[in-house]
Amino acid sequence: MHIPDGFLATPVWATLDVAAAPALAYTVRRAQRGFDEARIPLLGVMGAFVFAAQMINFPVGIGTTGHLVGGALLAFTLGPAAAGVVMAAIVAIQALVFQDGGILALGPNIINMAILGVLAGYLPFHLWGAGKWRRMAIFAGGVVSVLVSAICALAELLVSGVRMPAAVLGISLVLFVVSALLEGAITLAVVTALETIQPGFIRKPAAARSLALGAVSVVAVLLAAVGVLFASTAPDGIERLGQQTGIAAHARALLSTPLGNYQAAFLQSPWLSKAAAGLAGLALIYTACLIIGRLVARRGSA
Amino acid sequence: MHHVVLERWSRGSSAIHRRDPRAKIAPLLMFLIVLATAHSSLPALAAALFLLLCAALVWARLPLAGAVIRAGIILPFTLVFAAICWLGGDPARGLSLLLKSYLSALAVLLVVSTTPLPVLLRGLEMTGVPRFLLMVAQFLYRYLFVISEEAQHMRIAAASRGGSRSRLRFRAAAGALAVLFARSYGRAEEIHRAMLARGFTGHFRTLGALRFRGTDAGFAVIASLAPALVRVAVERFV
Repeated sequence: MHIPDGFLATPVWATLDVAAAPALAYTVRRAQRGFDEARIPLLGVMGAFVFAAQMINFPVGIGTTGHLVGGALLAFTLGPAAAGVVMAAIVAIQALVFQDGGILALGPNIINMAILGVLAGYLPFHLWGAGKWRRMAIFAGGVVSVLVSAICALAELLVSGVRMPAAVLGISLVLFVVSALLEGAITLAVVTALETIQPGFIRKPAAARSLALGAVSVVAVLLAAVGVLFASTAPDGIERLGQQTGIAAHARALLSTPLGNYQAAFLQSPWLSKAAAGLAGLALIYTACLIIGRLVARRGSA
Repeated sequence: MHHVVLERWSRGSSAIHRRDPRAKIAPLLMFLIVLATAHSSLPALAAALFLLLCAALVWARLPLAGAVIRAGIILPFTLVFAAICWLGGDPARGLSLLLKSYLSALAVLLVVSTTPLPVLLRGLEMTGVPRFLLMVAQFLYRYLFVISEEAQHMRIAAASRGGSRSRLRFRAAAGALAVLFARSYGRAEEIHRAMLARGFTGHFRTLGALRFRGTDAGFAVIASLAPALVRVAVERFV
């Protein structure tokens, strides 16, 4: 599910775009660590594979079909960091070439699908991928990856003020669960088939952890996702909490210091001045990051 | 197919096609932000921005009707959400979702169909997007058609073999995907060896560096200001 532009409220997409940049940079760095440049064609071709995999239909019940989403499968074969990079590239190409998902919404979509979806999908495999629960872990990985991505997307829409009647919300949650279970089944079937072709494709996670500990962490991820969803249906609650604890006032004081309450006085129109002040602030942060990055890189190479 | 048409359109030779990719990325972002943050008198603003995009499409000598229809790809998805908003008693938001997402898609389409994707990705590299990610995206785009065609062949082969029970078809599809995965993996290795044989050193070398000229700067400034001015005018006078 790719969110198009125009669906999210400005604070939501702006925050998530800013948050996605360091998350993606870290993922890229992790994916590059200890790997030669042979990875570049490999990751690109695997991205093309995920695209092409959408053409292979899996029959589900009567007359309907589903297809692979791929985040979990990529994480099991390439590792979570590389899978994140591939999924981010897929999200970007879909937004640019196929108008599937927005450009301003790239940050939210990358966080949902390439960062959180892949990490959540890899978690069960990381925990139980080596033990006797292996098959269940692979299935759970597929389920969790799609569920977390979908719930995050839904939560972002709700926070943005898209009101959904309870019935629609219920139906979409049921659809999410069904497609998540389908992704789990497809992932498991493909991994099983891959292992009969060539066992080396699937990564070998470290020794099996205790089932209880792992179950707790997977449940925690799911609870966090569902919690975000519930919190997003009642954003007033968060605001009230902020006012009660005084965070809102502090935040306003903090934000207003650099650029005078976000208003550049030389502009008349209120939204324009806000936008200009916001953009100027972003540009400042961006330049600072770029300079620091260059300095760190120079020190690293010296 | 969608991307084939885009590929053909993006090889045109209008004034917009010739601009540096960075001179198109900046106005695109500006357009999207102006549109995304708009709240008041949205229908009038949307109509004005639509005319602006149409003018740019004509200037770029792209088929106007074709592009306007093509951006409609987004509508089925958006219409569902607009209907949900309407059911939820918020028809104004439903309309805003429709207008904003359609115009955003049309704006992206304008940039993508006046800039070949490799050039666009190179332009992005200079704005600080990690090069590794862009190279992966570059490869993804290059091999998209190759691997998709392979998947297409497999699908036709599976369909012509027949098969009725859905349980078996499910396993057959999983097997097909596993084979496709293994072949893609092998193909990636071959590609890498071929690249090494041609002297690949870890980054792409391109014919002709991108040059940001004065015309590009002028275009970027004017094209970035245009949507903002349109919005100021609409909010003042409507």
